[in-house]
Amino acid sequence: MAWFIGIDIGSVYSKGVITRDNELSAFYVILSGGNYRTAAERIRQELLTRVNLTQDDIANTVGTGSGAGNVYFAGQKVSDIVCTARGINRIFPSARIVIEVAGQSSKVMRIDEQGLVANFVVSEKCAAGSGWFIEVIANVLRIDIEDFGPLSLNSKNPITFSTGCAVFGESEAITRVAEGIPKEDIAAGVNKALADKISSLAKKIRVEEPCGICGGGALNIGLIKTVEHALNLRLLAPAQPQIVTALGAALLARKEIQGDP
Amino acid sequence: MYFAGVDIGSTMTKIVLMEKNHTVLSAIKGPTGPEHRQLANEVMKMALEQASLQLDEISYVVATGYGRLNVPFADRQITELSCHARGVSSLFPDVRTAIDIGGQDAKCMKINNGKMVDFVMNDKCAAGTGRFLEIIASTLGVKVEELGDISLKSTKRLQISSICTIFAQQEVVARLSDGENLEDIIAGLHDALSSRVAGLARRLKIEPDVVLTGGVAKNAGIVEAMKKNLGCELLIPEDPLLTGALGAAILAKEYFLKAMSKGEPSLPKARRLEKATFFE
Repeated sequence: MAWFIGIDIGSVYSKGVITRDNELSAFYVILSGGNYRTAAERIRQELLTRVNLTQDDIANTVGTGSGAGNVYFAGQKVSDIVCTARGINRIFPSARIVIEVAGQSSKVMRIDEQGLVANFVVSEKCAAGSGWFIEVIANVLRIDIEDFGPLSLNSKNPITFSTGCAVFGESEAITRVAEGIPKEDIAAGVNKALADKISSLAKKIRVEEPCGICGGGALNIGLIKTVEHALNLRLLAPAQPQIVTALGAALLARKEIQGDP
Repeated sequence: MYFAGVDIGSTMTKIVLMEKNHTVLSAIKGPTGPEHRQLANEVMKMALEQASLQLDEISYVVATGYGRLNVPFADRQITELSCHARGVSSLFPDVRTAIDIGGQDAKCMKINNGKMVDFVMNDKCAAGTGRFLEIIASTLGVKVEELGDISLKSTKRLQISSICTIFAQQEVVARLSDGENLEDIIAGLHDALSSRVAGLARRLKIEPDVVLTGGVAKNAGIVEAMKKNLGCELLIPEDPLLTGALGAAILAKEYFLKAMSKGEPSLPKARRLEKATFFE
């Protein structure tokens, strides 16, 4: 029996997972903040505290995400795409397609039975095509990000954003609020705009069921429903969609030491 | 005989009043304002005052720009592309390529013998527009007018993402906390904006003379970065904000004279110098 850590430093959130062999023991999510190295260190400390261990008990650590280089104590650095595929394969072994809606971009990947990446597409680094758009508009609507999805489900008339830009979208949302448009219609409009971008990305890869969705964007139930509608298929969403990539990193940390399976 | 061109941009409202021989009597710039498009009448009052004219003395008024449909005292609306092309070619008869970087869009026009023959534009994304600079300037705590001079002091080339304004803003904060110099960061941003606009312009074949207009052309750092990214010299009007309004005034004259020559009773009914009721 051995312990492994996976840490995924993203542009907005940093996520960590600790596993005992192949089993998830604890996870932790924080805002990345201005210093990614500090974020990585804080995550490691918290994970160790939660399972009552010290660093000496950890057999291996993998760092991933756009700030992977800041996980200075990691044994290996692995690309986030490889980790996401591995993580989703663990949760939904049948899934052959994964959609990830992250803080700065969205990705769609095709994976094989072993959880290896066969093909993938990544969006431009565009706030309107990523989870950041939800954060921007939640701020305009003065609602908590957790309430965004449930609120949007109440909408009967989602608004249509006239541009595909989060900067202009923010101004547009402010105008709509001033016009008295209900918040749920604006929130649902954001989901629709984002789902359009994701589905045009997904069309570059032949999307089929079973299809998983992960990343912070998958915490938004309204977005999941809207993407399902846009792609005309059902999506498998994990209970903790934000930590899928970190989970994959921990599983790869184990594989590095213990080999397959 | 007097003519007016009213250019309601997303950020600034510009008005040119001129005589038949193209002598400019007044050229006024005012903010479009948060009330957006409702201030055209105020700016028009200022322009008329400066030229000591009454609205009734203006033979023809052409409105252009983003808010052109909301100018109750205009006789005709014409797209900003046509007006820009006309304005630029009146100032630079040999222009073949005109690039306009506005507050909320960027456009590139191919011009042949004073007529626009092709264009590309970006009005979907804030990157590569004046909005990009406004957002970054406020993040840096610098006035947007100061960006150009500051960037010219830069000695180091910094690469900043040109794709998304919001992420560039976050990148700037990170660079500042890394201890990079303000002038190098701003120069990097100018380079990012310029490469975005140059990429747009290259979709048309760029031929000299190339003219750069729009409020962003007042930024000397952008002008330098655009020259580098396009690999050619640039001509800049004395006031790069006014070409759309100037073109509108010239087109106003042309429409009026054409109507006169055909004996059409095209002429102004009672015009009201009041604010648009767009939102009411």
